[in-house]
Amino acid sequence: MDEKILDEIIAHYPSQSGKTLGILREIQIREKHIPMDTLKLLSGKIDVPLSRLYALVTFYSFFSLKPVGEHLITVCMGTPCHVKGAEKILESLEEHLGISEDTQDGKYLQTTPDNKFTVEIARCFGACSMAPVLRVDGELHGYVTPEMIPKILEKYGWKR
Amino acid sequence: MSLLGNGKRMVTVTINKNQYLAEEGEIFLLTANRLGIDIPHLCYEKALEPYGACRLCMVDVVTCGKTDMTPACTIRVQNGLEILTDTPQIIKHRNLLFELYLAEAPKSEVIKEMAAKYGVTKTRFLKKIVHDDPLQGKCILCGLCVRVCEEIMGASAISFINRGPYTVINTPFYEHNPDCEGCAACAKVCPTNAIVFEDIGTNRVMQSWSDTTVPLMICPECGKPFAPQRLMEKVLTKPESGLIEEIKDLCPECRRKYFTLREIRKIPTNGGQA
Amino acid sequence: MIITSHEDLESVRKRGLTKIQPKHPRIGVGTSSCGIAVGGMQIFDRMQELIQKEGYDITLVKTGCIGFCKEEPIVSVTIPGKSQVLLHKVRPDDAERIIALALKGEIPEDLALCRIPDWDHITGNLVYGDGFESVPDYGEIRFFSHQKKVILRDSGLINPEDIDEYIGIGGYSAAFKALNSMDPDTIIEEVKKSGLRGRGGAGFPAGLKWEITKKAPGTEKFIVCNADEGDPGAYMNRNEMESDPHMLLEGMLIGAYGMDVHEGLIYIRAEYPLAIERLTLALDQARAYGLLGKNILNSGFDFDIQIATGAGAFVCGESTALAASIEGKTGRPRLRPPRLTEKGVFGRPTDLNNVETWCNVPVIITKGATWYSDIGAKGNTGTKVFSLVGKVENIGMVEVPLGTSLRTIIYDIGSGGAGGKEVKAVQTGGPSGGCIPVRLFDTPVDFENLNMVGTMMGSGGLVVMDEDTNMVDIARYFINFASSESCGKCVPCREGLKHLLLILNRIVSGKGTRDDIEILKELSDTVQKTSLCGLGQTAPNPVLTTLQYFGEEYEKLIAPEGK
Ligand SMILES: Cc1cc2nc3c(=O)[nH]c(=O)nc-3n(C[C@H](O)[C@H](O)[C@H](O)COP(=O)(O)O)c2cc1C
Ligand code: SF4
Ligand code: SF4
Ligand code: FES
Ligand code: FES
Ligand code: FES
Repeated sequence: MDEKILDEIIAHYPSQSGKTLGILREIQIREKHIPMDTLKLLSGKIDVPLSRLYALVTFYSFFSLKPVGEHLITVCMGTPCHVKGAEKILESLEEHLGISEDTQDGKYLQTTPDNKFTVEIARCFGACSMAPVLRVDGELHGYVTPEMIPKILEKYGWKR
Repeated sequence: MSLLGNGKRMVTVTINKNQYLAEEGEIFLLTANRLGIDIPHLCYEKALEPYGACRLCMVDVVTCGKTDMTPACTIRVQNGLEILTDTPQIIKHRNLLFELYLAEAPKSEVIKEMAAKYGVTKTRFLKKIVHDDPLQGKCILCGLCVRVCEEIMGASAISFINRGPYTVINTPFYEHNPDCEGCAACAKVCPTNAIVFEDIGTNRVMQSWSDTTVPLMICPECGKPFAPQRLMEKVLTKPESGLIEEIKDLCPECRRKYFTLREIRKIPTNGGQA
Repeated sequence: MIITSHEDLESVRKRGLTKIQPKHPRIGVGTSSCGIAVGGMQIFDRMQELIQKEGYDITLVKTGCIGFCKEEPIVSVTIPGKSQVLLHKVRPDDAERIIALALKGEIPEDLALCRIPDWDHITGNLVYGDGFESVPDYGEIRFFSHQKKVILRDSGLINPEDIDEYIGIGGYSAAFKALNSMDPDTIIEEVKKSGLRGRGGAGFPAGLKWEITKKAPGTEKFIVCNADEGDPGAYMNRNEMESDPHMLLEGMLIGAYGMDVHEGLIYIRAEYPLAIERLTLALDQARAYGLLGKNILNSGFDFDIQIATGAGAFVCGESTALAASIEGKTGRPRLRPPRLTEKGVFGRPTDLNNVETWCNVPVIITKGATWYSDIGAKGNTGTKVFSLVGKVENIGMVEVPLGTSLRTIIYDIGSGGAGGKEVKAVQTGGPSGGCIPVRLFDTPVDFENLNMVGTMMGSGGLVVMDEDTNMVDIARYFINFASSESCGKCVPCREGLKHLLLILNRIVSGKGTRDDIEILKELSDTVQKTSLCGLGQTAPNPVLTTLQYFGEEYEKLIAPEGK
């Protein structure tokens, strides 16, 4: 991230309350992840030890250190979606995209080797009435069944 | 109740139905240990704020006949304090916590011995196996190393990473961290001896912390490497270090020699009869 | 314009009213996150395009959400002098037709859900008029008729992005009354008398917490709004903030004045971008009217509110973790005492209340403590908003007086199981709560009674399970959630929940043994009793309640030879 942009973001936070997380949130939203260099730069600028920033980034699930692929698929795993079969949706996605559930750090964020799709999970979009729900690049799909997954993926350029 | 010479008040506390005199305001865990009442603990260190994370020191505080389970490291002694340390409930929970620790740090001899002392020699839970664990399968996440590094040394070189069952301790990005001063206070404070470091040549290598390497000071007198450079620099820039110019770069041994030499020189030749 | 007198407020109120009831048709599109998720924004954009292109004399506004999720997207049409009509399941292609009919003073009857001849906003009353008699009255709709809207009184009816509309229906008159004619201590007294208890889960008396904060030594203090809403399946707070943000700000302003605190914070989860956006806008609008800032309403009182965002950690709803998070630290709870009221954000005395707790304050001041305490049950006064979700027919946001039975909520309001299926249980209190079987559905929903059946009120999620739901799987789901949200500080929660999850996985996959059930019970007990904070202490509840009420489902999964 450009140093000037980082300075601008930091300037949004004149007060200490909510400052560090606020800055990190804006970086995450802009860059879709937290780049290592930006984090190191930030540490010097706001005078917070890098170890503490790294602790924050790995603790809070809103942040990710890995960049995401071309399309971001978010599967809702809220309770209402769960009782309506969200787990099966995730399994179907894993199966079709050839990714696995394994995680080293407790965060679910899987990207396909060709960097086309990233799958993440979330809790409740507020669309529980259409559960189970998933979102691709901001577009919501409701009443999803495992059988619908290939069709949805094809819309975003996936090939069998 | 009585007053001690130092102005501290002595008050009466009841532990397991026996009465004792104790210093008001003292951390109860210390009081109990001093009185020979055994309470296991892993995350308390006198120089640091109570942290209350290991949960092994849980005791019952009795108020108006009701009991409340609380970590002993967070209780301060006050007059009339009543504590039970060995109820069946406490023993039961403590034993289960030991089982959890045995599964979390299966390689730790300290944990094994401690658990065995309380009669727990086996765990029913799946043991955690981490290949190439920089903390050798011994860390129980008491946080003492992190807290000492931040609160006492002011270095903040290491931190908790991730959360929940994935929590580990290391340097940011698992990289060599220039913030580390190589003081090894973390290793000294670790209750399970999980942290590995080694002085190799003129460097100190913090192997557990992603091989963070810190150069050591070379004593100009004897030529031997001793304390980490960065740490020494910090100590020496403090005005209160009180060291005279001539010896400030020497290793402790050579410093001692210097003083002994000076003392000897001071001794008058007439055999000390001034 | 800075509002400094009653006349100023009145003139804004009149202006707001003409926005809500203009001389020409007004169309409101439900565009909270939920409405947007199901297409509300497309409808809004389509309508805006048409109206702008043709220069129609129609007011088009975004409204919040009326909470009938199942019927979304909902669009309201107000023809001057006639009942307001709510249209349901509207699609973007309906936009043209709705506009064309509105211009003629009509509505598409096939889309009509109900009509509203008049509405009690509590802080003010609106009369729309008669007409559209063929459309059912609001009170005839089963989902609405058993509800009592106090907190949700404006939701879905006003434009949350325009402070004038809030003032139009009597908003900020409670703050005016408080700051100009009430002694701060009287305000705390009034809140105490109302019996208002914290809506964040524990039910601590709000007035008492205010009093403790006020008495705490120190001059620099904080009041904080807990908008972390981490329970997966609860979205009341989101709706309250997105649909009626000024209600929250007004509540905080009154509280701040009562406690003599000058700095307010809203700690809100990062996953609520729209709520953050609307609150930011609301704060700006309130500042522009001098309702925040220096010398508010010419009373000499200074107060402002800042937003602090969370970053995705359920545990940050816990008070000490929340304070740490605001300070820029990881949200690991610390030992209590000291409580926040003594040593809170940056070490200063801090009063922390849930969004909905604050939202109750304006009506208590407007209507008085007695009016308020007449709602609900003794010791559990007022209403509570719930998100009624899962396998229930009428999914939605439901507000009822405390003490209402689960049966009323699930059968009368919710119309029972979705698709005619048999309801089996309901989970209250999210991951900290438990599953209550049908036979206990006469339990009144209040803090004490829910505790008695092994669960808790929590923030207000009600997830309905039907005959097809596997209760062991539900327990596993919640333990998985709690374990992945554990901060990792203390061993019972960090390691204990992990092992509970491993055991439950084993049982669900049919490989469990009878011993596993015993370990499950033993471990749950230890995690509950020895964890440091509320997360670990309550996390085993779903296991314990399902074991208690649905033990046979565990039995069935145990391998028959069950060593
Ligand atoms: C793990 C955990 C999560 C919590 N999450 C929330 C939350 O999302 N929102 C909330 O208002 N309170 C939450 N609470 C309760 C708060 O700690 C606190 O009691 C509450 O915000 C106080 O406000 P009230 O008195 O108005 O209820 C949580 C507590 C725990 C232990
Ligand atoms: S390495 Fe040692 S001191 Fe550090 S957390 Fe682990 S057990 Fe505690
Ligand atoms: S109970 Fe869980 S969330 Fe709470 S302090 Fe312990 S590990 Fe952290
Ligand atoms: S739980 Fe999935 S949208 Fe609410
Ligand atoms: S020593 Fe008391 S909790 Fe660890
Ligand atoms: S549709 Fe808005 S809360 Fe349900």
